[in-house]
Amino acid sequence: MHETTHPVRVTTGFFMFELKICLNFWDTSCQLISFTDFYEAKENTGTMEPQTKRWKGSECDTDSWVAYPVLSDEQSQDVELIEAFAAPIVDKKETSRLVRELNGLYPLNGLQHIKRVRAVKGSLHPLEVLVCLVSEAPDLKEASIDSLLPSGGVKHDGLGQPFVVTVPARPPLTRPQFELVRKHWPTSFHEDKQVTVALRGELFSPPQKARMHTYMTSALTAARTGSELGMEAVGAVMVDPVMERIIAVGHDCRGDHPLHHAVMVCIDLVARSQGGGCYPFDRYPGCSFQKLPDAEASPQPYICTGYDLYVTREPCVMCAMALVHSRIGRVFYGTASADGAFGSKYKIHSQKDLNHRFEVYKGVLGKQCEDLNCVDQHINNKTSQHSR
Amino acid sequence: MGTEEGRYRLSADSAEGFLPSDEEIEKWMDSAFGMAKDALENGEVPVGCLMVYNDEVVGKGRNEVNETKNATRHAEMVALDQLLDWCGGCSLDVSSVCERTALYVTVEPCIMCAAALRLLNIPVVVYGCRNERFGGCGSVLDVSSADLPQTGSAFKCVSGHRADEAVEMLKTFYKQENPNGDQKLFFCLSFIVSFPMSPYLIFPHLNIFCLFGIFCSSSLRSFFQLYLVS
Ligand SMILES: [Zn+2]
Ligand SMILES: [Zn+2]
Repeated sequence: MHETTHPVRVTTGFFMFELKICLNFWDTSCQLISFTDFYEAKENTGTMEPQTKRWKGSECDTDSWVAYPVLSDEQSQDVELIEAFAAPIVDKKETSRLVRELNGLYPLNGLQHIKRVRAVKGSLHPLEVLVCLVSEAPDLKEASIDSLLPSGGVKHDGLGQPFVVTVPARPPLTRPQFELVRKHWPTSFHEDKQVTVALRGELFSPPQKARMHTYMTSALTAARTGSELGMEAVGAVMVDPVMERIIAVGHDCRGDHPLHHAVMVCIDLVARSQGGGCYPFDRYPGCSFQKLPDAEASPQPYICTGYDLYVTREPCVMCAMALVHSRIGRVFYGTASADGAFGSKYKIHSQKDLNHRFEVYKGVLGKQCEDLNCVDQHINNKTSQHSR
Repeated sequence: MGTEEGRYRLSADSAEGFLPSDEEIEKWMDSAFGMAKDALENGEVPVGCLMVYNDEVVGKGRNEVNETKNATRHAEMVALDQLLDWCGGCSLDVSSVCERTALYVTVEPCIMCAAALRLLNIPVVVYGCRNERFGGCGSVLDVSSADLPQTGSAFKCVSGHRADEAVEMLKTFYKQENPNGDQKLFFCLSFIVSFPMSPYLIFPHLNIFCLFGIFCSSSLRSFFQLYLVS
């Protein structure tokens, strides 16, 4: 969401060549998805619709939850503050000269987001100018204007006694960060409106929320089905958001295979939907996939590109990285988990060193997803009683 | 990237007392490199990977991402599945086998595989070269030693064994795939690369993957690197 301008969008030469080749192949062997395919596919999802009726009352109220974005550390941390010397401008007429000369002597490299001059209401001197960072100052013990501005460079005329202020070390990335740092020193802020709206919990429209609600309800149902088989109560649903179609529903199967977490199951079911996959999950009624309409005649999606994943609890490191490898579109989870890799322990979706980044939202049906842990607890207690 | 022969035992002082000897490392890494060479000769990603329990290979793997259309089918995941099957076949308890099994692999496991190895409580991983793109044993994240109480147990890494050779094989693989001057092969490869990505060429907003490839370098070689390295 914060990568609105991708630096490589301008590189078109090779890209165009690729495009030409693949269109050539399409002409001969493939077609774009036809309307009939589309509608048939929509009808087929009937079997995979969640059993909303069963959970009516508690889960049909989209006002009961809010989806918040899970942002990168840089976006969610408080902005680091550093100390700087400022001084009042006692002679307003000297302002532009002072700013020019100070920019020459102390250019504030890497701190372009900081304004050089600030207005101070109700003060004897209505303008204050940033002289330099404390770390750049020549002599720390004696912070006088003379020690800060050695002979030559800047004429002292019009400057008052310097004092220490705090300024943000990095530009603010979100509105909450901006609101915080502007109290210290005026700072410029290039607002990403989508992030601001998302942080207010207002990114999704009521119809969008209704769909998200349906998908997560599906995941909750799968989680309960799995839990009845003695698995951990975790469910996941893969959705094609363009077609508004569920591609795969899976639940935790680690009772039979220690690595078959709900997300891993779902990823393999998606592979099955594309004619691949390597596990038979058919024996689990709660795990299913939607065969894509005629693999021969329509362009096939590449693994999970463009898909949305709904999962009842925050994925672990393995599952989160599996989603990176699968080039997932977006992830929505209900509730956080202790070793979760999107919000709790790592923020794998926003790792600069990884080549695929995506948006993650939490809190979709958060309460109901959290209650699944109690289901787990209950079953564990029951089984331990049995074993006694 | 030196072989770090002198240093590679550093991170591996025995905690639970299970650590392969130098001779074992030599021997099994030799097999892993043999697998990688085989893969290279067959035009596959040159990564060799095996799991050894009680001086016996109980799991072997190669990258199966393309044929399964499942991007999680890295060599390590395939080998772990074989280990589980082997335990099933011998009616042995998975956890007691895993805690005395070592993984030998020519390239550092990725973040996902490192987490999977933790979840199964594999105590030792011996690897050749670093995996700068996805490495989960320190190159990108250090999943192997991190404090993750809900994600199995941390494991020891013995790294750097024949690292140069492992890197060289990867390089050869990409060079070999680079169809400089061969028009027909180039066309063919363009198709293989572009075909699965075609929907994203039509819907440019889904293009991050594709654009990233171009960003890295405008040569097909790096496309393949993106596609295939685990
Ligand atoms: Zn997981
Ligand atoms: Zn891996």
